[in-house]
Amino acid sequence: MSRQSPLALSLRHLTLVVISFAMLVPFYWVIKTAITNENIYAYPPGILPRDPHLFNFVDVWYLIPFPRYLLNSIIVSAIAVIGNVVFNAMAGYALTRQFTGRRAVLALFLSCMLIPFQATIIPAYLITAKMGLLNTYFGLAFPMLSTIVCIFVFKAAFEAVPKSLIDAARIDGLTEWRIIVRVLLPLSKPAIATNVILTFIWSWNNFLWPLLITRDPNMQTLPLGLARFLSYMEDTTGALYAFAVMVLAPSILVFLMAQKEFIRGLTSGATKG
Amino acid sequence: MSGGSSLVPWLRSRWVIVPGAMIVFTLGWLAYVNSHNHGLVEGRVVDATGKPVPGAAVQLFERGFVTHQERGRTTTDAEGVFRFTDNRSHSIQLEAEAPGLGRSNRHILRLWFAAQDAKLAEPLRFPAPK
Amino acid sequence: MSGHGGWWGRRRNRQLALIVCFLLPSLIVFFLYRLLPLGWNVILSFQAWSPLKPAVWIGLEHYAEMWTYDDTFWIALKNTLIFIAASPLAIAAALGVALLVNSDLKGATVYRTIVFLSYPLMAVAVGIIWRWMYDERGGIINFALRSSGLIAKPIGFLQDFSWALPSVIVAEVWQMIGFYMIILLTGLQSIPQNLYEAARIDGAPAVARFFRITLPMLRPSLFLCVVVGILNSFSSFDLVYIMTNGGPGHATELLITHIYKSAFEQTKFDYAAALTVVQFALLLLLTVAANKGAGGNAGAVERD
Repeated sequence: MSRQSPLALSLRHLTLVVISFAMLVPFYWVIKTAITNENIYAYPPGILPRDPHLFNFVDVWYLIPFPRYLLNSIIVSAIAVIGNVVFNAMAGYALTRQFTGRRAVLALFLSCMLIPFQATIIPAYLITAKMGLLNTYFGLAFPMLSTIVCIFVFKAAFEAVPKSLIDAARIDGLTEWRIIVRVLLPLSKPAIATNVILTFIWSWNNFLWPLLITRDPNMQTLPLGLARFLSYMEDTTGALYAFAVMVLAPSILVFLMAQKEFIRGLTSGATKG
Repeated sequence: MSGGSSLVPWLRSRWVIVPGAMIVFTLGWLAYVNSHNHGLVEGRVVDATGKPVPGAAVQLFERGFVTHQERGRTTTDAEGVFRFTDNRSHSIQLEAEAPGLGRSNRHILRLWFAAQDAKLAEPLRFPAPK
Repeated sequence: MSGHGGWWGRRRNRQLALIVCFLLPSLIVFFLYRLLPLGWNVILSFQAWSPLKPAVWIGLEHYAEMWTYDDTFWIALKNTLIFIAASPLAIAAALGVALLVNSDLKGATVYRTIVFLSYPLMAVAVGIIWRWMYDERGGIINFALRSSGLIAKPIGFLQDFSWALPSVIVAEVWQMIGFYMIILLTGLQSIPQNLYEAARIDGAPAVARFFRITLPMLRPSLFLCVVVGILNSFSSFDLVYIMTNGGPGHATELLITHIYKSAFEQTKFDYAAALTVVQFALLLLLTVAANKGAGGNAGAVERD
């Protein structure tokens, strides 16, 4: 890169600071509202929170079945993440081997990438209903049990393992299973991390699918609970924003902890869903 | 591959530290909650001059989804002290009433968890007679 | 499995069985939730069917109805196209940010994280946050505009027929810009530096370097961003549903919200399937067009 004059450099920083500021305003505004008192319609709205307190979060926990929503979200995410990692690793491994029909399977996966999940909702709903999986954890997690992007992440990771290492293991008499568990998987930790994070975030944020297949309030997940809370209360209370903050916190935490893995997953040719 | 040397970097991983800290915090919080959730609410009732009011009726309102509902009633003892032992809510309001003194201010008490044991720092105070 | 020497005994067959078993779970998921629905959609769109009635083949009737009677469809189509047309603006803005952040600028990672932070968030919560930002009484946007004297009366952004769609698009851009930036940044970092060195020796000015080297080399990344922008007309359902639910009137109705309402609120599954087919065809058409525009082989990004 060329050396820049101090003026150009500070202009650059200034622009970026302004952009960052604009990107952060919504975060600030929701947190500010979540920790201020009842009357959120006072005009002019205070830029700083007046008498900040955290009791709105306590209200969310007790006034609505938040613990239930949380439990449902955690269970569905756990099923989705575990199933996803296992199935994707298996499929990724299979694709590193030579077999007849490999090209067809690859082409199939690639073309499936172009089908957005939202374009399948009607038959997907009917199929799930036929299988009797409406209002179940498994039904909620089923469409997320395998992700094409992550299969390719695994395939790339397995292909990067030196062939000599696998051959050596094979000469030592290790079975196929043991090679996968003892050699390939330990060397593919970044791929596993990428997969876990992407699936967790997708499953945690998923709204449309639970909206379609859960009618039972006991099976609803956090995004549905949030939408329901909004429809009861409209925008009238700080508790709604406290709810939003509580729901966003886990994904922000995971994102900040694993930004590198997250970005790797997205840039390996990713599209949402 | 001795135990000590391979364990230390593993323990330093952020994937161990952060969830570990969260679990420790949660367990600590649960332990605290379970030893402090007897539903005790204690306080005093005084008149406008600050003298304790014995025999005042104190009402406890519990917060519902949008309104507050009466959940309990008790009277103050000789020192003007009242005591509820069965509060189960996380957000309550308290109000005292005594013949000749009218109604006190309504005290809003927000707790950190349901049935948290609480002691009012400020007494319920009756307004000065007009 | 007939023990040694049988079919199972042969190493080749055993490996093939292993591969099939390994692929099967993923294939089942994709079959049940991608391929089968796609085909079923097409079939359903030619039928008159509801959950309690047997299916009757009616040919193109749904499409004819859509074309001639369904005003909402045309509004939704127009809005969807506007929605898609807005994504190049977001991509251009993201390219600007990516160019600023790319290089050994101090603090570049911090800026990058901040811009990217809005992407992995739950769209429902993002919708709620933006509803509140746009609020007529307590929203910060009205507050900022009023206190700076730009407007005298507060604007109900999401209740106003002409403001609602741009407002939703702004929220959508806020969430997506970080994603575009990351994709473009990865593209920028894969451009060989010696191209720039050579251009500099030739005395090409910065603007020429940008148009001659950066843009052409970024083509695959830009293509990917455009495809995601097109797909977003589908995946923005959550945000639109929460922020306006298609309203006021049908001012922010997208095809996907129209599909959802037709199928799950009016139980016209068959008609909604026809709508889905139309939107999917639109998506394919636009993707192919974008591929042409990007030079034909841009799909290669997804393949490496």
